[in-house]
Amino acid sequence: MSNYTILNNNVHKDLRVNTMRSAEYGDNIMYTMTFPMEFRDIQSCYPIFFCKDPESGQLYPAALLGFEQDQNLFLSDSGWDATYIPLMVRRHPFLIGFQADPDGAEGATKPVVSIDSDSPRLIEASGDDSQEGEALFKQDGTPSDFLQTSIGTLESIHRGLEHNKGFIAALLEHELLESFSLEITLNDGSNNQLMGFYTIAEEKLQSLDGETLAKFNTQGYLQSIYMAIASFARLRPMIDKKNAQLG
Amino acid sequence: MNHKINRVVIVGGGTAGWLSAGIIAAEHCIGTKTSSPENPFQLTLVESPDIATIGVGEGTWPSMRSTLQKMGISETDFFRECSASFKQGTLFKGWRAGADDIYTHPFTPPQGYTEVNLAPHWQTAREQINFAQAVSPQSALFTDKLAPKQISTPEYAFNVNYGYHLDAAKFAEFLRKHCVEKLGVTHIKANVTGINSADNGDIASIATDSHGTIEGELFIDCSGSRALLIGEHFGIPVCSKSDILFNNTALAAQIPYTHENDPIESCTLSTAQSAGWIWEIGLPTRRGIGHVYSSDHNTEERASEELLAYIASTVSEQAAAAATLRKVKFSPGHRAKFWHKNCVAIGMSAGFIEPLEASALVLVELSAAMIAEQLPANRQIMDLVAKRFNDKFLYRWDRIIEFLKLHYILTQRRDTEYWRDNCESSSVPEQLVDLLALWRHQSPWHRDNNNVDDMFPSASFQYVIYGMDFETMPSQTQRRSELAERQRAGALFQENATRTKQLQTSLPSNRDLINKIYTFGFQKI
Repeated sequence: MSNYTILNNNVHKDLRVNTMRSAEYGDNIMYTMTFPMEFRDIQSCYPIFFCKDPESGQLYPAALLGFEQDQNLFLSDSGWDATYIPLMVRRHPFLIGFQADPDGAEGATKPVVSIDSDSPRLIEASGDDSQEGEALFKQDGTPSDFLQTSIGTLESIHRGLEHNKGFIAALLEHELLESFSLEITLNDGSNNQLMGFYTIAEEKLQSLDGETLAKFNTQGYLQSIYMAIASFARLRPMIDKKNAQLG
Repeated sequence: MNHKINRVVIVGGGTAGWLSAGIIAAEHCIGTKTSSPENPFQLTLVESPDIATIGVGEGTWPSMRSTLQKMGISETDFFRECSASFKQGTLFKGWRAGADDIYTHPFTPPQGYTEVNLAPHWQTAREQINFAQAVSPQSALFTDKLAPKQISTPEYAFNVNYGYHLDAAKFAEFLRKHCVEKLGVTHIKANVTGINSADNGDIASIATDSHGTIEGELFIDCSGSRALLIGEHFGIPVCSKSDILFNNTALAAQIPYTHENDPIESCTLSTAQSAGWIWEIGLPTRRGIGHVYSSDHNTEERASEELLAYIASTVSEQAAAAATLRKVKFSPGHRAKFWHKNCVAIGMSAGFIEPLEASALVLVELSAAMIAEQLPANRQIMDLVAKRFNDKFLYRWDRIIEFLKLHYILTQRRDTEYWRDNCESSSVPEQLVDLLALWRHQSPWHRDNNNVDDMFPSASFQYVIYGMDFETMPSQTQRRSELAERQRAGALFQENATRTKQLQTSLPSNRDLINKIYTFGFQKI
């Protein structure tokens, strides 16, 4: 379980974060949310599909990492074997929280950096000179380079979430998403069925009128749509990876 | 005689009027943008500004999902604007023995229904598990007040089949807006002051107090129990069914929840009383609770006492004390025919019986759908379509009446004259007597539904008769197919038990899902 508290350079001054990639730290995930702004990098490594948040039913784009629950084919003993690691994976153990904004209108909130105090990544260094993991704060209490980068990641996610809303709404409005199921047969004869995922409805896309295409182009959606389609090619290497693991 | 049928006029605007308008308009695409000289079809609904619609909480069948979908309605909007909730069937209390005895009639047919008839295989285990629970996950789900789907399930799709509970007044208003804004229905608010006949006896036009005369080729009477056209004008008589179904009076109340987030029932509750039964319909905003009874077997005073006692025990003493009861009298029965000359009756103008098994709205859906599908091209063939319509709906009314009567005649109750009278053979339709004789030796299955116009699937008969403890004798002879079938049945019972557990852990509560619909809405995919 997660237990988020607002990051504080006093309470958390000695905290360090382990940045290793491993199942032990919760990286054994089958898929993770992604955002159009990172599609270019994502599609070079992972297939992009769409899926639903079980709590809200809202759709979001996701990078596929495995074929079954808790399986991440990019994890190995030496870490995460890919040239790009998704923003939502890199954010841990941080999250954007919201707190009341005293300077804003009533009910206004402002984003704040929160940290999961139950995260297995946290190392309580208690002032000694341990060099394991990354420090969050410098001696003078200002954010470390690592924390600065993490805050940048959170800011990108924050913008990405907003971007996703518009992107998904546009796809739904033009009926450009369709549900699909994929049956993957591995060399050992076992079947993995991927269900509950959605993908770009290419027939609908091909019949879009010029006006809509022009609008999508201006909004940047057109590029994202084609990157999602192109990312399908990453399925094959994943199947090969899995087959290689089977030996 | 060869007038084309281009102008349809609906008289009356309750749920029957607007539902009919929506179904017919959706089929004949008369949307304001698409109407053209090539499509001269016009649909007008005339509604009195003075008559309030009867806004009771009502139940629908699962058929309402496709009816709404065909009209182009968003299920999310429907939930948000009609105080709608999920209905997965009915839970009957006290019908068998007049005590705490319970049985259920879920909307989902038994597991593997088209493949194996589970009823005979359940007979041997009937002491251990009730029929509905043995064959379908649904009664366990609605007993737990769970929803039939998740927020990630697309609109109108389901994990287990469902219909709705809704606020009828809000539903009529919601449909009105959709019909007028999206489907191009013309809405006239005026009182009908007279009916002008053509030479052939058809209705040529109706006169109104504020919009002059309105001409049409086909008139649909949705004026409710007043039956302005089919009854007052044409004098088509009502066939009384009070000799079969005794209930003729209802007392209705609307009871707020004690706490805003109290659970919402996801089935209709029907609790037998001394001379009738009490319904309870859970909407997100309130419970609709009412007592429908026979005034020949009970006094209004006693009936109110029973209703208030029910409210006091299921809600609270305070709720019972604060309840206001509204009385509705009705004569159970239907018109001798529904389509006469160029006039069709839909809704309460066509007939009315007690709300057991919620047949009112589904008859509106079926009537309007048949008009939409078979809209006569001209006046000449209208009489042929009318005859088909009348044959079909007389058949359907008979089937509904039989099915409702079935609920009463298997009771072991002999505590009041009402239950004893219900079991008198003179009050039971002949075909029902025959069916029961047959079911003594073979359980209901597909063979019982040999007509496409049957209203209730054979699975519904199974749920009611075995819920009421009816026994079907084992087969007289050994059958070759028996062993394989018994094995398959065992596997299906097991599958059902597994699926029940899975659904119980994965489905949200009815209240939670409705709150999520308010916040997020359903996806179309």
